[in-house]
Amino acid sequence: MDEQTRSGDDSSPIPREITRAGDHDIRILWKSGHESLYPARYLRLKCPCAVCVDEWTGREVLRPQAVTEDVAPSSLELVGRYGLRVRWTDGHSDGIYTFKLLRELCPCCQTS
Amino acid sequence: MSETDKLKIDIVDALKSIQDPDLGRDIVSLGFVKDVKFCGGVAAVTIELTTPACPVKDQMREEARQAILALDGVDEANVEMTARVRSSSSDNQSLLPGVKNVIPVASGKGGVGKSTVSANLAVALAQSGAQVGLMDADVYGPSIPTLMGLSEKPVSGPNQQMIPVTQYEVKIISMGFFLPKEKAVIWRGPMLDKMITQFLGGVQWGELDYLIIDLPPGTGDIQLSLCQKVPLTGAVIVSTPQDVALNVAQKAIAMFNQLNTPVLGIVENMSHYRCSHCGQRDEIFGTGGARKVSESRGLPFLGEIPLSTNIRVHSDQGKPVVLAEPESEQAKAFLQVAENTAAQISIRAMAGELEQDIKVSF
Repeated sequence: MDEQTRSGDDSSPIPREITRAGDHDIRILWKSGHESLYPARYLRLKCPCAVCVDEWTGREVLRPQAVTEDVAPSSLELVGRYGLRVRWTDGHSDGIYTFKLLRELCPCCQTS
Repeated sequence: MSETDKLKIDIVDALKSIQDPDLGRDIVSLGFVKDVKFCGGVAAVTIELTTPACPVKDQMREEARQAILALDGVDEANVEMTARVRSSSSDNQSLLPGVKNVIPVASGKGGVGKSTVSANLAVALAQSGAQVGLMDADVYGPSIPTLMGLSEKPVSGPNQQMIPVTQYEVKIISMGFFLPKEKAVIWRGPMLDKMITQFLGGVQWGELDYLIIDLPPGTGDIQLSLCQKVPLTGAVIVSTPQDVALNVAQKAIAMFNQLNTPVLGIVENMSHYRCSHCGQRDEIFGTGGARKVSESRGLPFLGEIPLSTNIRVHSDQGKPVVLAEPESEQAKAFLQVAENTAAQISIRAMAGELEQDIKVSF
């Protein structure tokens, strides 16, 4: 275990606070001080579970048309010390969003 | 201000000179000094440590006594040492509400002595005065009942919770209690996941300072489920000195790193063999390999346990060597591992009090 993992810098990000933002978006305040705002549907489409993403090829299996515009998280729970499970209003809850994945998905840090 | 009040302040000031070597701060600023009394030349203080298994407890008591006795007007100093184990995680422990620290014992490779280390670690911590539980999560080869000399089965309590069996002041649960010796567990992942949930939330653990979890070898379903269900305090990695074991142990370390679970340190088991006839030391599997790995990975080295007949004999007889022969070299080695582990947990817990936990409000 190195210092980085504990202090939660960008190589191993740790949230300080996870809350609701707006009507149904998710807000994460990271230990580093950075704040990420995730629109609900954007995060739903990025579900990393084996039903939504092919386990071997990494190909996205989930079709955007299959996810309604008003999908929203109904509850959140921490998974051990490393991730977050989201229960969505469409009944899906299989994906574990690791903190690392969530940090990478931060919309304001996307370069493209 | 009365003379007595002034002297009480002097006593606290004098105690500021005493450092906790593990936490690297003085015992006053750490808030360990409680209950300072002074009456008729006699001073009495209570020092509350973060673990009853503190390796430098006696030394600290003596240092405190000397520091107080050096003050003018003090003829006698009574220092009482107590302990309150801190929790490494404040909330989201819905499965284990009364358990302060959860410590998996893992190895990667099988047959390196995880269960023996777990059993002796649990008993040594309990002997120091801590409240200890021991969960045998090795469903394939549960050996804790044998090592702890148990044949009775746990009974059901209220709310359909199992009441763990208590032996040597350790609360124990094991798959071995529920299966006849000649039957085997042949389960796929979802069943193993269910079992882990059952052993965590379905057992009346009550208030525990330390819950030691004896894991099966590998980095599979049981390890993953455990890392998902509860925030673990930190893992103890057991390895023999050989490369073949150390290389696999590093896989276990990698798994815990990936799941953000701290690693408390590495124990080198079967570190050397001392001949019971001539006393000569023989390094059957080499020695010092685990120490090297811990240094290169920046992990604490928790101690080395010799390979010895008496550990094996007492294990087979169901009474861990720390209890059966407390004065032996082997028992002292286990005791040192227990003290170092407790010290590492204290360091994490104290750091956690400064760091914030993850707040989820949704």
